[in-house]
Amino acid sequence: MVGNRKNYLIRYVIATFLLLLMVYPFIYLVLNSFADWSQIDKKFIPSDFTLRSYEWLFAGGEAEIARPWIHAFFNSAIVSLGSTFLMMLIGVLAAFALSKLNFKGKNFINNFVMFHMFFPALILLIPTFLLIQNVGLYDTYLGLIIPKAVSLWAIFMYTNFFRAIPDTFIEAAKLDGANNLQILFKIILPMSKSITTVIFLFLFTERWTELLWDMIAVRSDEMLTLNVLISQMFGPYGGYPGPMYAASVLLTVPIIILFLFFSKKFQEGMQFTLK
Amino acid sequence: MRKTSNGMGWLFTSPYILFGIIFFVIPIVWSFFLAFTDWNLISPEFNFVGIDNFIEAITSQSVQSAFVNTYKFLIIYVPIVMALSLTVAMVVNGLPKFKGFFLIGFFLPYLSSGVVTSLIVNGILSYNGPLNTFLREKLSFNIDWLGTPIAAVLIVSIMIAWKFAGYYGLILFSGLSGIEKEIYEAAAIDGASRWQTFWKITIPMLYPALYTVLILAIGVSFGIFTEVYQLTGGGPDFATNTWQMEIFTNAFTNLQAGYSSAIALIAAVVTFVSIYIVRKLIELWGRRNGWE
Repeated sequence: MVGNRKNYLIRYVIATFLLLLMVYPFIYLVLNSFADWSQIDKKFIPSDFTLRSYEWLFAGGEAEIARPWIHAFFNSAIVSLGSTFLMMLIGVLAAFALSKLNFKGKNFINNFVMFHMFFPALILLIPTFLLIQNVGLYDTYLGLIIPKAVSLWAIFMYTNFFRAIPDTFIEAAKLDGANNLQILFKIILPMSKSITTVIFLFLFTERWTELLWDMIAVRSDEMLTLNVLISQMFGPYGGYPGPMYAASVLLTVPIIILFLFFSKKFQEGMQFTLK
Repeated sequence: MRKTSNGMGWLFTSPYILFGIIFFVIPIVWSFFLAFTDWNLISPEFNFVGIDNFIEAITSQSVQSAFVNTYKFLIIYVPIVMALSLTVAMVVNGLPKFKGFFLIGFFLPYLSSGVVTSLIVNGILSYNGPLNTFLREKLSFNIDWLGTPIAAVLIVSIMIAWKFAGYYGLILFSGLSGIEKEIYEAAAIDGASRWQTFWKITIPMLYPALYTVLILAIGVSFGIFTEVYQLTGGGPDFATNTWQMEIFTNAFTNLQAGYSSAIALIAAVVTFVSIYIVRKLIELWGRRNGWE
């Protein structure tokens, strides 16, 4: 009995040690954003703290290269929410048809989705850029959002999940006179909260931390997303790592809070996706 | 039986189909066209140059480095991320309580941005950074981490493994928790060592989850961009150059859209064939051991 307890204690010690190691980069990030400027990137764990990096970030520093960080943050929010919303909406609609409706050409669309999903996407980069430029969406929010409006993975996950929902629910609703849209949004989606949470979190995270497309599709400073702004300031801010860390906290912490907020539903949803 | 509803089916899938035509079918056709031109992304003039772009690509040192490096990353990144995610899964599976707490904790790196990770790693590894300062003071040497080819490849691999370990760990954990306790108890009664139990029970029973994770990890190793772009710029001496870097640099820095499209086509074929072969090898490996 005592041996067992000791055994468990060792397991928790190992697990905690491993966890601290894995989240250490986040700890390093946050501590350095608050660290006294003489200690930034000098110690594994800084010991003197100041708010100077954040003041510098928001008010602009003596070097007068203040950048619209807050503006970039909102750009990121608009673009990520817009893209994620469209990815989920289009995904839900397509998945409903592919899982619950019978129609001519369904097999073709199913195969097309699979082909699209496994196709090496790197071919598409240059022509997509040209497309956006030619229709006047270059350097606009829509140019950032629309090319990222579909997630094949979301269609795939929703289709699998909807297939597992028994048709009897749909039959019953039909008898009550519900149409397909009502069935999807009033019956099926409310039954899919946990999978929706998982899909939302994955898609939002991916969009929020996107670099390549957000860098290509935009020219003016007012259109930069926070991730791209940090990326571009990497060199110029070389002498000011403190504000860089503060900006990185601004990028990283909201998404962690969002994730922790939904973590219970996320765990439920993962149970399904991992089956 | 469900009744046929042709109109509804097409109506519900129409947003996707529209997107698929505009952002998938048209770009594919377009990129084939571009690959045979010398277009520079800006001027309205261009010429057809036949297969010149492809010849230039195949003989280019930087394209060759991208080709080779993909397999370097595959060989280094995949084992690291497999070992790390399996460790995470086994450690969590061994806990009697608070499994959810630890799983969520290990998942957090997946939420990081490659740009921010690069900033942190750059800070820790710089000449005056904490790691080199420590090495100088205690062992009186230091390493130019990002200036040494093999170290740079290793560092990028570790960064990406760190990001994905918790996510893959979650998949493996779900596989592990599906293995019946009785099997382990029976093995213990038969006097099996831990090492034997691991190779004869855990790995075979976990094969489906391991397969999933392997396929995901291999996909990742063929699409590396952010960390390399931000941290090493493909260097030192092309050691960390990747297909994505090569396409991006040629198209948007050197403004050679035609040439870059040719590289993208080559990259797509190479990637597709490589992933297919590796996949078949893993399936063969599983079948030979009778794990499927």
